[in-house]
Amino acid sequence: MRNDAVWNARISRVLWGALEVWGVSGTVVPDPDDANVFVISPRTGPELRVRRDAAAGWAVTLRDPASGAEVGLGRHAGLAGLLRRLRDELAPEAPAGRLVIGAQQMPDRDAGAR
Amino acid sequence: MAPVPVSVITGFLGSGKTTLLARLLRDPALARAAVIVNEFGAVGLDHLLVEASDEEIVLLDSGCVCCSVRGDLVRTAGSLLARRAAGTIAPFERIVIETTGLADPAPILHALMTDPAIADSLCLESVIATVDAAAGAATLDAHPESVKQAAIADRIVVTKTDLSDPAANGLLERLRALNPAAPRLTAAHGVVDSNRLFGGGMHDAQGADVRRWLAAEALPHDSADHGHVHAGGRRGDGITTFCVRRGTPLRAVTLTLFLQVLAEHCGARLLRLKGLVDVLERPGRPAVIHGVQHVFHPPTWLDAWPDADRTTRMVVIAHGLDPLWLEALLDALDAEVAERVSTARED
Repeated sequence: MRNDAVWNARISRVLWGALEVWGVSGTVVPDPDDANVFVISPRTGPELRVRRDAAAGWAVTLRDPASGAEVGLGRHAGLAGLLRRLRDELAPEAPAGRLVIGAQQMPDRDAGAR
Repeated sequence: MAPVPVSVITGFLGSGKTTLLARLLRDPALARAAVIVNEFGAVGLDHLLVEASDEEIVLLDSGCVCCSVRGDLVRTAGSLLARRAAGTIAPFERIVIETTGLADPAPILHALMTDPAIADSLCLESVIATVDAAAGAATLDAHPESVKQAAIADRIVVTKTDLSDPAANGLLERLRALNPAAPRLTAAHGVVDSNRLFGGGMHDAQGADVRRWLAAEALPHDSADHGHVHAGGRRGDGITTFCVRRGTPLRAVTLTLFLQVLAEHCGARLLRLKGLVDVLERPGRPAVIHGVQHVFHPPTWLDAWPDADRTTRMVVIAHGLDPLWLEALLDALDAEVAERVSTARED
């Protein structure tokens, strides 16, 4: 995955959109000093930093507002896990569902479907 | 034995569900229908009206159907099936469920799609929403439940057209904006052609309904594909309908992750999703996917593409979801999966 401007814009949009879905007011800004880092600043609460590393996945750290020290919150292999972690941190009350594949097949009205 | 088709009639209080159902049950085409109605309140008026027909009637006796759906509805449907198999009731060929006016139809659909006790014996055929031609606009303004009922429907019946012209008062156009894929039928005194309400494969495995959703007249704002994910949209009452397109095949794992993320984070906002998906691992055999909020039917694999367009097309009806977010999410997941596949090959 190339961490270029297109990738950067795409991930920013994903994170912005996630905040919107969770009902969290805040901003997502790429770190000007590190193209692999996104800084999430909720209107209330501490800032989160999300770092992408090709080998290790996504790392989430919390910046202590008083000391400025960063505390690691965890690593996630993929974007799906990252979003789950961010929701837990930023919007623990937001509705969380899970994909359910039903037991019922769609009606097959001719022999074409398997 | 072939699964029994089930249709759900929903619609806000006073929108004419029972009148519609009572008229439909006089139609010979529905002569062998079993009806499940939900009593809400002390007097089962709906039940009394429907009882006038000669159909099989089962009255749920524990309040709102959407609250007790897992128990009563499944048990009632199961009981009907068992009695039919035992020959103790007429061998009905269809089940029609009338919800209360306040019901969210989604939990009802979920129960029908997922409960193992009935899932093999029933197949969800259609969701029909009634909207009152005279009071419908005000109801949509005041009651989010009514908006969801119309948005989630496969067919919308505008009732009481003898009292008000839904074209003149803008209701038809509003419903079109709300749910462009659902045909809008009109009824006066509950009279409507049953052939246009039942059958026709609204949840069918051949993707006919998906193609209907994708029809140009249904989604006029769906822009031309340029070989990548593409979304258009139209809005009404906070509901957005849009099409996510993709010109290159999706890996199965990307599709799964995409649906998982949508279900996990925005299940309640995702009212309906139907799609034809070009899955990389099964070239030439598109998958039909169909979900109501976070619950999906198992995908069905077609033997061939049903039309000349061989691109992935997922039509979404959602409340408060940004099409561009879904587009970016799908792109990001796909890139991530591609990177892992590439890394695994290198290792």
